[in-house]
Amino acid sequence: MLFREGNSFAKCGFFSSLFSGLFGTREMRILILGLDGAGKTTILYRLQVGEVVTTIPTIGFNVETVTYKSLKFQVWDLGGQTSIRPYWRCYYSNTDAVIYVVDSSDRDRMGISKSELVAMLEEEELKKAILVVFANKQDMDQAMTPTEVANALGLPALKDRKWQIFKTSATKGTGLEEAMEWLVDSLKSRQ
Amino acid sequence: MYTLLSGLYKYMFQKEEYCVLILGLDNAGKTTFLEQTKTKFSKNYKGMNLSKITTTVGLNIGTIDVGKARLMFWDLGGQEELQSLWDKYYAESHGVIYVIDSTDEERLSESKEAFEKMISSEALEGVPLLVLANKQDVPNCLSVPDIKTAFSDSAPKIGKRDCLVQPCTALTGDGVNEGIEWMVKCVVRNIHRPPRQKDIT
Repeated sequence: MLFREGNSFAKCGFFSSLFSGLFGTREMRILILGLDGAGKTTILYRLQVGEVVTTIPTIGFNVETVTYKSLKFQVWDLGGQTSIRPYWRCYYSNTDAVIYVVDSSDRDRMGISKSELVAMLEEEELKKAILVVFANKQDMDQAMTPTEVANALGLPALKDRKWQIFKTSATKGTGLEEAMEWLVDSLKSRQ
Repeated sequence: MYTLLSGLYKYMFQKEEYCVLILGLDNAGKTTFLEQTKTKFSKNYKGMNLSKITTTVGLNIGTIDVGKARLMFWDLGGQEELQSLWDKYYAESHGVIYVIDSTDEERLSESKEAFEKMISSEALEGVPLLVLANKQDVPNCLSVPDIKTAFSDSAPKIGKRDCLVQPCTALTGDGVNEGIEWMVKCVVRNIHRPPRQKDIT
């Protein structure tokens, strides 16, 4: 019985991979996380409609389907305020990648951003997820460089996960294209 | 009896894991080398389109099994600013692969500077070092003797550690097997850095 079940699973996997191979339409699940005011919602709508929208602090979540280079993403943008961060974990299962957004000009809260990231990455359900960090708000004068942000977030301590950091400005629209391209290629070639 | 059984268990189910750093300037071909290695040494690996590889600003990882040894690669970004992240990995590394772009004579001195800084670190003492003279497929590129000459005064700093300069073309895969096999041999026999024990899952 167990064997049969395993077998049908394998078949299912085979057909779904054949299907996605033929049509390239398996939906990827991506979470956009980060502290409040980092720019998560602005990034989501930049990716989806290519425009800057006026946002208000997200209480709850926004979810949109974004198609990029024939890859379909289901992108979840979860609210970042302290009181709602504990709910992030409800959305972790089956996540292919996490986009972690940081306000590069907010030096004071880098430490908090780091501890949220570290706690998140310890979750079993995110073990296989690819991590992309957006060092956002690079248009601000006092913005930290990507390397400074990487150090502040403790990224060099991650030894068994592929990660990459990009400098972005969601309002200006810079860096997003490059980052998405990298993400698409990485998702396609996952082991 | 316990020792016997646990020994048997270890023999059958445990891999000795070695961590290998891949370093070098940006655009030297580190990520391409890693992808090529993964393609050559793991059966079911599809691999990335090598022409699509872009600048790494972070970390790429990869694991391959060669006999009883499991190599875990850390491929780090090579841009000048990112070189400050390299030393965070030294203490846990069992081997270092340093990639040089043999077609870029202009930046060879810059590469040498980064190389010297790296090998001067105490945390890397005695760690086997594989230097790859990459992009050998390009006509008129620097040969292995050219690179050895340019790096000759780093020799005292290399000291007693195992070191090999290997010509290679990451894009086509030439020289990749030779380099990896040499690295495996060296990390296994280096008693100063014992492997991490890892259960096979």
